Amino acid sequence: MVKVKLCILLIIVFLVGCSTPNIVSESPISENNIVEKIEVYHFHGENQCFSCRTIKEFAEKTVNTHYQDLLESGKMEFRSINLDKFENKDVTAKYGATGSSLWIGTYVNGEFHKKENTNVWYKVNDEEAFVSSLKTLLDKRLSGDLK
Amino acid sequence: MSFMAFMEMMGSSNIAIVAAFFIGLMTAISPCPLATNITAIAYVSKRINNSKHTLLVGFLYTLGRMFSYTLLASLIVWFGISSQSISLLLQKYGNHILGPLLLIIGVIMLDIIKLNFLKASNRLTKLKQKLANKGYMGSFLLGSIFALAFCPFSAVLFFGMLIPIAIKSGDGLIIPAVFAFATGLPVIIFSLILTVNPK
Repeated sequence: MVKVKLCILLIIVFLVGCSTPNIVSESPISENNIVEKIEVYHFHGENQCFSCRTIKEFAEKTVNTHYQDLLESGKMEFRSINLDKFENKDVTAKYGATGSSLWIGTYVNGEFHKKENTNVWYKVNDEEAFVSSLKTLLDKRLSGDLK
Repeated sequence: MSFMAFMEMMGSSNIAIVAAFFIGLMTAISPCPLATNITAIAYVSKRINNSKHTLLVGFLYTLGRMFSYTLLASLIVWFGISSQSISLLLQKYGNHILGPLLLIIGVIMLDIIKLNFLKASNRLTKLKQKLANKGYMGSFLLGSIFALAFCPFSAVLFFGMLIPIAIKSGDGLIIPAVFAFATGLPVIIFSLILTVNPK
């Protein structure tokens, strides 16, 4: 019994030891970051699931409600892109979308940064939490914070 | 804290193994894997009177899932194959292949349509018997095929959440294996329940 417990303990230590922290590190926050444009792109396939449609609906609602001025000025853009269509091949490759997903692309200091927002998938049943979470993220990007 | 908020917190854990496990659990309850797991539970329950067989079939099904997920992850992490290409390919054609394949296997196993040329084939008769009776290899194959049935949400969980963690950790083996174990956990739990109380 002691041997079994010891083996389990060793396996756990081994498994934990093999893993490295899942820390997302991108460009640091800089006061000099000048955000030129933000793209909020929703990718989807020909056949969409319920959650895929909801994510598009909530994301579009968020940008239309809170960033109307930026949409009009062209500083922010929202698009829903069918990745199964040939004409969207380049933009799909640019973002590296692996399927239905929501991406935030930021043009800062002449460079392009992209990041998939996977957290939204946990909020498809809670519109308020979805909008709040996406707004917080977009505000961060607008302030030049790319973390 | 709501259930989804808890799953999000655990799925975003700084410890890759913990994150992989909870992303796997999320996958287990998402539409496509849930449907395949229910099918697997039906398969596991086939010989309910043999508890050892039930448990082994449940574990082999999960092992099959583990095989496919680990294979995909290691191809991406260690061999640099584009996760975008694999993901889009499996989502586009995976279900198109899987659907007819399951129908054909079902027709052969159930003898719904009597096909004369099938009777003539000794090999096919043997294959039919294997699929229907053996169970062990069948459950492994079932797991490995079902794991490749990606629908939009399960593709997000695997390619959008798990693969980036595996790439960051440089681990194409343990992280996807833990993920796979969690995706097959409902089947293992069900087979354990059947083993403890088979009637």
